[in-house]
Amino acid sequence: MVAGSEAEEDLRAFREAVSLVPWHVAKDLISREVCLHCIIRLFGIREPAKGFTSLSPSMFSDIVAELPSTGEGLNGIELGENKDKNDDETNEERHPAPSICSVCFGILQICKVNDAEIPFEKNGVNFLANVIADAVKEEGHEFDSFCVEVSTPPAIPENDLSLLSYINSKYGSESWLQKKPLGNIISLKEALKALVTGPLETKLGVNCSQGTFRIWLTYKEASPLTSCDDKTPVAKRQKTDCNNKNTLVACTTYGLVAENEATEPCVDSGKITMTIPTDGFGNGIAYHESSCLSKSREPCSLSIECYRDAVYFGGRYLKYSRNVSQTCWMIDEERMGVTSVEEIISGCILPFCRGDKSKFHAAGREDIDVRMLGSGRPFLVEIQNARHVPSIMDIKGIEEKINESKSKLVRVKHLKLLGSEAWSLMREGEAEKQKQYAAVVWISRPLEDRDLCTLSSFKDLSIMQKTPIRVLHRRSPLEREKIIHWMKIERISGSSQYFVLHLCTQAGTYIKEFVHGDLGRTNPSIGSILGCRAEILQLDVTDVKMDLF
Amino acid sequence: MSGQTSAAVAAAAKSVHQDEEELHGLLVPDATDLPLFPLSAVESNFVAYFAPDFTKPSHDHYIYRHPNGLCVVGLAPGHAALRDEGGVKGVDFNVGKSDRSAIKVTGKRKKNAQHFEANTMLCKVSTSVDTYVIRCCVKGSLLEVNEKLVKQPGLLNTAADREGFIAIIMPKPADWLKVKSKFLSREEYSNLRVESL
Repeated sequence: MVAGSEAEEDLRAFREAVSLVPWHVAKDLISREVCLHCIIRLFGIREPAKGFTSLSPSMFSDIVAELPSTGEGLNGIELGENKDKNDDETNEERHPAPSICSVCFGILQICKVNDAEIPFEKNGVNFLANVIADAVKEEGHEFDSFCVEVSTPPAIPENDLSLLSYINSKYGSESWLQKKPLGNIISLKEALKALVTGPLETKLGVNCSQGTFRIWLTYKEASPLTSCDDKTPVAKRQKTDCNNKNTLVACTTYGLVAENEATEPCVDSGKITMTIPTDGFGNGIAYHESSCLSKSREPCSLSIECYRDAVYFGGRYLKYSRNVSQTCWMIDEERMGVTSVEEIISGCILPFCRGDKSKFHAAGREDIDVRMLGSGRPFLVEIQNARHVPSIMDIKGIEEKINESKSKLVRVKHLKLLGSEAWSLMREGEAEKQKQYAAVVWISRPLEDRDLCTLSSFKDLSIMQKTPIRVLHRRSPLEREKIIHWMKIERISGSSQYFVLHLCTQAGTYIKEFVHGDLGRTNPSIGSILGCRAEILQLDVTDVKMDLF
Repeated sequence: MSGQTSAAVAAAAKSVHQDEEELHGLLVPDATDLPLFPLSAVESNFVAYFAPDFTKPSHDHYIYRHPNGLCVVGLAPGHAALRDEGGVKGVDFNVGKSDRSAIKVTGKRKKNAQHFEANTMLCKVSTSVDTYVIRCCVKGSLLEVNEKLVKQPGLLNTAADREGFIAIIMPKPADWLKVKSKFLSREEYSNLRVESL
């Protein structure tokens, strides 16, 4: 447990923090079931970096009990030493357990974690840190730093604002408020992170920093007053602080009534519009306990999830089979090809990283009946929520495992671990890349020596290519200009009408159509150039020219 | 030291050379493994159907259907226009209410494509003897007509089954299933025309 001196220091810090809050306001708010954590943060007071973690809630009530009933504030008032700070039980008897906070719904009081009720006199922060650490360990993640993300019910920022406007409308005329208007609320998320980070660092044995490993704490209202969106933490991550946008509207709908106490002076709305929403009539929106807060409020439920940002593996793949597609290809529930490059590669990486899901991205693709040889084609495998990030040696091992599979359908080269920047690198390079092919071509007459010269004489030949009929059903009908950078004929010994055509073209050129002409829709074509019929028997990609991997 | 380096360079060069040899071996087939006459792209990529005497005697059309559902329509060898003295002299897509070659279909969803019935006119083909109306044969969207035929009607005399195709039509799958059984296969068609061809 915590050393006594540390507890005393925390206590002193806490007293100091509380002393910044005018006592009569604090008392009023406590009577309205606002917890001390919330009072402090609403006054923009930051708890010490470690939080008041060594203080039990019963000590809070001691301090509250010490608040004088008259006077200007807590400043200058002699705070007596806490007599019974090591004896929680006797405190508990003297001070009944505080009720669930009407602002944070108990989140900062940490009175319920995963259905386990935590007695108020227990140190909830340490308990919470233990629960989180256990949940993280159960997931089996390996990490050297972490960060905490909190998602709370949308009602909480609304509560913050309505409480602020209550204070402003009730105490607006008082000098302390006029001197230093409220508005720098420390959000509940921030406050909770501040509370839980220190103990969690101790429990997990690593530091908290802006890392790629996130611990998500999602709080949900047990009985939501407003409709609570059922977003998963993963979805929440994509939209940041959406809640705040709606607070102005939500404030007025969240069961609040404008306070019409004639004795209360109205707040000058001009002064407070910067921070506090007002209703359309210039009145501050009041915080009215009977209308919005139920005494038997249930504390929020907490779910803990761990997530690591995607890790990327880059490399080049070679495909030696004409019966393997790049990704799993189904037509009418029937599988095309025996397997896919994606399944072979991702199938080795995903289990090794113990991730949730993998995604395969490649720099372009070849038809199922086209082999990918030579340089190979750049690809990325994205692993979501990897529990284990492999070492360089591990990656060598994965590469060997893929390459040593018996079927020899697919190989990988230069496999390495990459950050998310790899993604944009690949997209950038994709458009302007050149590709080199080797095609086995038949022509309807014997090949002549001058044909070799004819084809090799072309440099950056421009061709017009209509969308091939074989893809016209799903692609726009267009005529595109493509560049054939060079061509070279290699004879096949023992054959007069077959040859191997080596060619280098602009990305996006349909090679099969360039050979046979696609009913004259690609022009010129090998057939039209050589003045005969040309057919393509097989095609291989031999180089994808990209400065990547 | 330098001896080791050059040895390493030599080894690397050797391995690159080996890789190239291996790649070359994969790329170049053995001539004895290759067929004497390979299947043409049209033969391997399409299933051929024939509509003999479509609406009129000797008006034989072919419909080459790609597995993606698209149909290439053209003149079958038995069509009267191909058998006239001097062959085809002209092709005119300006038929019916509009010029078939003037409508530009765009986008994945084939915006502007006209939906035609099986007996809708596609074009007129004229020889020195007569003028023949060529029809869609299948109900569907007209994606493309072969504009080259306007300037090069001779393509019909030299390659009616390839560069001399008339149009590309996209029928709805259900419409295709309804009409498909009315057409002849290549074998049935050549049996039908065996005497005249």
